[in-house]
Amino acid sequence: MIQLYRVSKVYPPNFPALTDIHVEIEKGEFVFLTGPSGAGKSTLLRLLFRAEEATSGQIIVNGRNLNRMDRAGVAHLRQEIGLVFQEFKLLSTMTALENVALAAEVVGVSRKESRSRAFQLLRDLGLKDKQDARPPALSAGEQQRVAIARALVNSPILVFADEPTGNLDAEVAEETMRLFLKIHEKGTTILIATHDTGFLKRFHSRAISLQHGRLASDTKLDPREVTP
Amino acid sequence: MKFPWVAFVGRRVVKSMREFLWTHVLTAGIMALTLAIFGGFVLVQQNLQGLLRGWGNQLEVFAYLRDGLSSTEIQSILSQARSLPEVEEVRHVSKKEAWENFKKGLGAQSGVLEGLTAEILPSSLDVRLKKSHREQASVEALAAKLRAIQGIGEVEYPGEWVGKLHLVTLGVQWAKWIFGGFLFVATLFIVGSTVKLAILSRKDEIEVMQLVGAPEGLIKVPFVIEGMIQGIFGAILSVLFLWLLFLLLTFRLPSLVAVFPSQSQLRFLDLSGVSLLFFLGWFIGAGGSLFSLRRFLKT
Repeated sequence: MIQLYRVSKVYPPNFPALTDIHVEIEKGEFVFLTGPSGAGKSTLLRLLFRAEEATSGQIIVNGRNLNRMDRAGVAHLRQEIGLVFQEFKLLSTMTALENVALAAEVVGVSRKESRSRAFQLLRDLGLKDKQDARPPALSAGEQQRVAIARALVNSPILVFADEPTGNLDAEVAEETMRLFLKIHEKGTTILIATHDTGFLKRFHSRAISLQHGRLASDTKLDPREVTP
Repeated sequence: MKFPWVAFVGRRVVKSMREFLWTHVLTAGIMALTLAIFGGFVLVQQNLQGLLRGWGNQLEVFAYLRDGLSSTEIQSILSQARSLPEVEEVRHVSKKEAWENFKKGLGAQSGVLEGLTAEILPSSLDVRLKKSHREQASVEALAAKLRAIQGIGEVEYPGEWVGKLHLVTLGVQWAKWIFGGFLFVATLFIVGSTVKLAILSRKDEIEVMQLVGAPEGLIKVPFVIEGMIQGIFGAILSVLFLWLLFLLLTFRLPSLVAVFPSQSQLRFLDLSGVSLLFFLGWFIGAGGSLFSLRRFLKT
């Protein structure tokens, strides 16, 4: 599903953010991308959804070579990926329902169908009563669930999450992680960047660890929740 | 473009028009001002050209015949004049006809001619030029050729004013493109800046759209359509403004209207002039938006 061959990213003037990364992620895997702040986790994720280009090496996502991708190709790639961010990236001028439906509308789904999909997802995530609320009126946990609903509205084959629990308290963070696990159980490949090593102990899953932009370790385990 | 996208773009344009109404009105106003100045030049140029055409239609060269020519000699002069390439029509005006015309011209004062006869006036040839030769160089060339014909004395034609008016028209035409060009570029930047403000205020929305895989066209098209609407609206305002100014001038300055010969009159912008303003409005609007979007989406 995801292949990185000797990938490096150097920011000008000469700051290496990632060096010689070689990783393969199979379809249906649940993977944590870990490491301290500044280890290169976010940079790696940004390379995977082509927010940035690698300085060298090859990246293949779902059979597409990201090195040879034009803007239209990037848009197409992102339609197959669900993205979740620490800061939610919701539009404050839109309701929860509109935020979720927007992601479907921009890929050409009719407004009616988009809203129907968005409603179902919000209902499944326990936000049925919050569909008309705008993000500022929602709690951080609710906002993150809206963001997850948006990531899922086009039934992606891949979900990338960059520190999705960074702004959430411990209990809500735990709930959010369980939500990702549920999504994974339906067959979606999930890659979550987090610096919280606590999750690694509780969620028995594959963890790719980065240190100073280099691959430090890669442990392959079965994804399941371990009793705390 | 898929139908849901068309509907999506439509909704976004309407939403933006509502949310940023005054920004859009301000931009359209600036465009209207620029287009009105440019349109003013077009208006002056079109009317000067009309004036030239009107006077050109009346443009005749008068070749006075020497006294004592026989009718055979006059016929020969006539056929020589008719064979010249610049000539459209030649009419012989006999002494008698010239006398009658002169008296008619004097009107009530024709009494001053008492005691005089038609013999004091020379007979002449009234030579009309072909349309393609109604400019100063051709008139002068024709006059020289007529003078060279044996039996023709003096040759008269409307003097330098034809050339001068022609130069003024050329000057206005150049001023239109030079001055208009500067304004055009300035407006392009102003529109670009306004669009940039609109883009910045919707930065998050654009970013989210990019992240969820919106095609670039879907992000750009609403802004471009908004720019086009601003441009067309600006053009409508500019035409209205020019029309009001035109009415005011023609009512307040009747002497201006009198300058124009009866065949042509002071006219408002013709269809090509109005179309040009609409095209420019459309172009500035769309171009300004695309220019800003390109720079923004690049970064």
